[in-house]
Amino acid sequence: MRTILLAGTKKGLFLLESDEGRRDWALRGPLLEGWEVYHAIRDARDGTLLACTNSPVYGPTVHRSSDEGETWERTEELGLPEDSGLTLERTWHLEPGRADEPGRLWLGGAPGVLFRSDDGGATWSPNEALLRHPTRDRWNPGAGGMCCHSIQLDPDRPERMHVAISAAGHFRTDDGGESWQPANTGTAADFMPDPYPELGQCVHKLLRSPASERLWQQNHCGVYRSDDAGDSWARLDGNGLPSDFGFPLALHPRDPDTAFVVPMGGGDDRLTCDGRLGVYRTGDGGETWTLASDGLPDPAYAVVLRECLASDALDPFGVFLGTQSGSVFGSADEGTTWTDLARQLPPVLSVEVAAWS
Amino acid sequence: MVVVLLPGMLAAEAGGRKRIEVDAATVEDALRALPVADRLFDEHGALRPLVNVYVDGVDVRERDGLGGPLGGAAEIRLVAAIAGGAPRP
Repeated sequence: MRTILLAGTKKGLFLLESDEGRRDWALRGPLLEGWEVYHAIRDARDGTLLACTNSPVYGPTVHRSSDEGETWERTEELGLPEDSGLTLERTWHLEPGRADEPGRLWLGGAPGVLFRSDDGGATWSPNEALLRHPTRDRWNPGAGGMCCHSIQLDPDRPERMHVAISAAGHFRTDDGGESWQPANTGTAADFMPDPYPELGQCVHKLLRSPASERLWQQNHCGVYRSDDAGDSWARLDGNGLPSDFGFPLALHPRDPDTAFVVPMGGGDDRLTCDGRLGVYRTGDGGETWTLASDGLPDPAYAVVLRECLASDALDPFGVFLGTQSGSVFGSADEGTTWTDLARQLPPVLSVEVAAWS
Repeated sequence: MVVVLLPGMLAAEAGGRKRIEVDAATVEDALRALPVADRLFDEHGALRPLVNVYVDGVDVRERDGLGGPLGGAAEIRLVAAIAGGAPRP
């Protein structure tokens, strides 16, 4: 079994390959030269690689490879209907469909849009209910644009899924995407006149635990957990975290109480806190957080973006992160100790990890 | 026939072809015949703002625009605009 890290960067995609021990890594790339790779995944159902690729000149698209990155095809049917008045600005996040939905993929993009493909990413259709959501005129772009960056499927309820948009908040569908309800009760938007609005929250990353229906989110204004599919949220910072602000989030593959965040200063100083690259871990559902950065650089003044923290499913599981300074770090022991896997890459925009047989 | 010259990223998207010959009446027709047309135009048909088009060395905006006839033109060159930086004082 091989372990492959997919590091999307501002200048193409890099693959780092190791074995199950995840000790020694071989670097390959750049692939997709010239493209800004906002997110890249390996679809475990068929081994296809898929990447959200963007260019300031040639626009947003998706590339896919069925031969482990040797050759790539670009999707050509991707865009928004003219009567929406919107133009696709960026592709942000790819999410495979469920195991029993071959060929189905989900794609999040800006401005706050979701696409579905039923042919493995050759063609895409926008989700009309989200595109024409009655609250859309109350959504606002964050600094990175109005990105739909998080897509989470409920494996047990085929009609339920979650998306998060910055800065529109968390939305849930219980009818397979025919309608979407904002579900943000208890999450703050300190930058709004009403700090607890129905929607408009700046969610930075939202994940569903692989082990339960628990949701986690790193928000512009806090870290949160929901145990009722997003109907209500409990704030989890202020108990060991040096800041409520941050972008990425990673979860334990089997324990719903364990999560990782990388706090940053939330004002003009958007760097990792206390002059170090600090990963913080909770093992009690967010009640307490402790620094889990043994081996990470200190001092360090780093930026870790929303897609730049990932965990694998091995036992013990691995945790991996990428920085805007072009480094990729990994822990093969659940965040206890870290080593650098690559350095001097272009700015890292995303990190995903996959097991390849 | 007119030859369209593709810059590096577009050539990679066109299977490594840096020169593609097309038969077209207008500049726009020639560009839409390319296998990378979706990277030149957005989903509503507008030329992406940082794509520059030169016909026999002349910026298409100084000719008859994208819809203008190619006539006997021999070459269309696509150039990615160089954006960023500040003017020198």
